[in-house]
Order: sequence, then C-alpha cells, then structure tokens
Amino acid sequence: MRTESCREWRTSLGAYALGQLPAEERAGLEAHLEGCAECRAEAESLRSLGKLMARADPARIVEPAPRPPAHLRERVETTIGAERASERRSRRRRRFGFALGGFATAAAAAVLALVVFGGGGATPPEQQVAFTNLPKGVEIDATLQPHAFGTEIRMYVGGIRSGTLCRVFLRGDDGRLYPAGSFRYRWGNDAEAILSSALDLSRTRAIGVHAGNRTFVAPVGPGGATASVPQLNEEEPT
Amino acid sequence: MSTFTRERDVREAYAAHSGELYGFAVRSLGDAGLAEEAVQETFVRAWRAGERFDPEIGSLRTWLFAILRNVVIDLGRARAARPGVAEGGIEPTVEPFEEALAAWQIEEAMRRIGEDHRRVIFETYYRGRPYAEVAAELGVPEGTVKSRVYYGLRALRVVLEEMGYED
Repeated sequence: MRTESCREWRTSLGAYALGQLPAEERAGLEAHLEGCAECRAEAESLRSLGKLMARADPARIVEPAPRPPAHLRERVETTIGAERASERRSRRRRRFGFALGGFATAAAAAVLALVVFGGGGATPPEQQVAFTNLPKGVEIDATLQPHAFGTEIRMYVGGIRSGTLCRVFLRGDDGRLYPAGSFRYRWGNDAEAILSSALDLSRTRAIGVHAGNRTFVAPVGPGGATASVPQLNEEEPT
Repeated sequence: MSTFTRERDVREAYAAHSGELYGFAVRSLGDAGLAEEAVQETFVRAWRAGERFDPEIGSLRTWLFAILRNVVIDLGRARAARPGVAEGGIEPTVEPFEEALAAWQIEEAMRRIGEDHRRVIFETYYRGRPYAEVAAELGVPEGTVKSRVYYGLRALRVVLEEMGYED
C-alpha cells in the first residue's frame, strides 16, 4: 500500500540497498519495510542490483567505451559476402552439375541447356553462365533466357564493394557489343539483377560486366562457337 | 526476424550489436586487434549457423554473445598456446567469461546513465565517499545526493533491462 510515509522513505532505498544508510535511519526504514510490501520489493530489487554492481571495475566505468573501428564493418561484410558467394557456387554446382574451370564451363552450359530443358518443349532453353578466373572472393554468374525481344539476363554479383555500378553488355557473333543495362551492387541485397538486351541469345557469344573500373567477360554457347571466344577476364571493350 | 540467413540480417545485427560485442571483447581479451578478430569471427559463425537461430529460444543478442563466448575461449586458447605473447604487454585474462560479462554489463550500463546519476553513484559507492562530502563538492543538499543515488539506481536497472541483461 502506497502511503505518505512511502514517499518519505522511497528516496532512502537507494542508499539502503547499497549499505550506505546511517544506523538510525536504517532502523526507521526497516520498520517501514516491515509493513510495506511495495517498498520491500523495491528494496530487494535494488539490493540485488547492488550485488551486481560490486562486480564492476570502477576504473573501467570512467574510461570511454571502446567503439568498433569503421573498417570492421567492411571486413565482416566482405568475409560474409565471400562465404555467401562460395555457398551459392556450391549450391549451383549441386543443382546443375557444373564442371567449373576453363571454357569447359561454357560447353557445360550448352549441354546443360539441352539436358535440363531439352524435353520441356514449352520453356525455351536458358543458359547458365559462370564467370571464372575472378579475383578471390568475387562471384559473378548469370542466367540468360531467350525471348522474342532478345535476351533476358539475370545476373548475380557478390564479393565486390557495395555501391559499385555494374554495366552489363553482350557480345554478338558479329563481334559488336550490345549494352544490356546496368545495376548497382548493394551488399545485403540478395536479389539477382534483371536486365535485357535486344541481341538474340542464339547470336550471343559472350557476356561481360564492367564493375567499377574492372571488366569481366565469360563466353556464352552454343558449344561450337565458344572456341572462337577468347577467355578474357580483363578485356577492355572497344 | 525469424531467421538469420540473409545478408540483410547480418547487417542489421551488426548495426544493433557490434558495439556491445566489441566493447565486451576488448574488455575480455584486453586487446583491440584480438577483439576485432573476435567480433568478425562471431558474425561469420552466426552467419554459418544462421538457420539454427530461433528467436523463440532467446534474443539475437543472447545468441550472439553465446557465440562470442566460444570465440573468446578459442582465441584465449590459441593465445595461450603461442609462446612469448606475455612479453607484448598484454595480460591474458583469467576472469571466467560469465563474471566478465556481468562486470562489463554493469560498467556499460553505468556509462549510459545520466552524468548526475553516475557521478553520485560513482563517488559514494565506488569511491566510498561520505554523502556530506559529495554534496558539498557538488554544491547540493545531502538529501539531493541521496535521491540521486536512488533515481540513479533505477535508471541503471532500466538500462540493464534495455541491454537485455540476464542474470
């Protein structure tokens, strides 16, 4: 029950809980606590807080709390981005049975198109393209889907600096470059970028992306034509 | 947040908890470089185990601190196995993790309460100075010091609750 005397005694509860109350005042307060469950509960709560407080190191209280350096966030993001990329890689490998490395990838992509979608009929064959020889931690892959308008591209990028502008292009069998739009890579955004180009997939020989100041290119099937496409990862388009 | 499987989850968790994790890691390991390593490893392990995070069982903060606990122990072991580190001036911590965590939470909560409250609790409790002396120094009546101690403790309790302190 809250009474006038509660108000009087309340502010002594702190000193009481910390064992700082002079004896005569303590006796008076304890008499009040006998008859007041509410104040008693508060005193108990503060007393257990007091016990906890005894564990602290006073010298550390007055020191400013150390803050994590700004580069730590980037380090964490980069590490997890790389983990995520390698996870995706192994997941895709499991799903599509990718043979990675060299231009075997492109050949595999072409075969895959037949194997996976050959019997489907209604669904036009799409092509999986994995970029190889990328810098450590960087992951780029793309799915190309033929349409009447040209080619739809779904591209995944991981492990590069967040905010990097990525400009995508296709190279046709005529050797020309066909722009396929751009996107900005955002760390933490798991979505694939969806892009399109007027170039038919059947006439597409390579796909490339300018990411920041670097350019990455991967060959695109059909199988017979891949041999004529050099495996360049740092190619500078004209 | 029901799982911890998206990069976005990691980013949010980092924004919310990296300060505390780092602050505690520094206290526990006594070295800023090791603390960075510990925080990074904590988030990487959390990411790998993301599917096992269940908010029904405990808060994200509790889960991250549980991971940090293992990381700190592993780092401590690795350091103990490395000869010659003691010469570097870093005193290896001998404090058990739970003790250190409780102590750090109080220290952190004390830093977060208002200056008026912190001052009187620090002077009277941690430095053991008489109320009259502190009151004279601050130029306030003794009764004010007493009530500030009371309201300071209440503020401290609230901050600890906000921090998710679990005894």
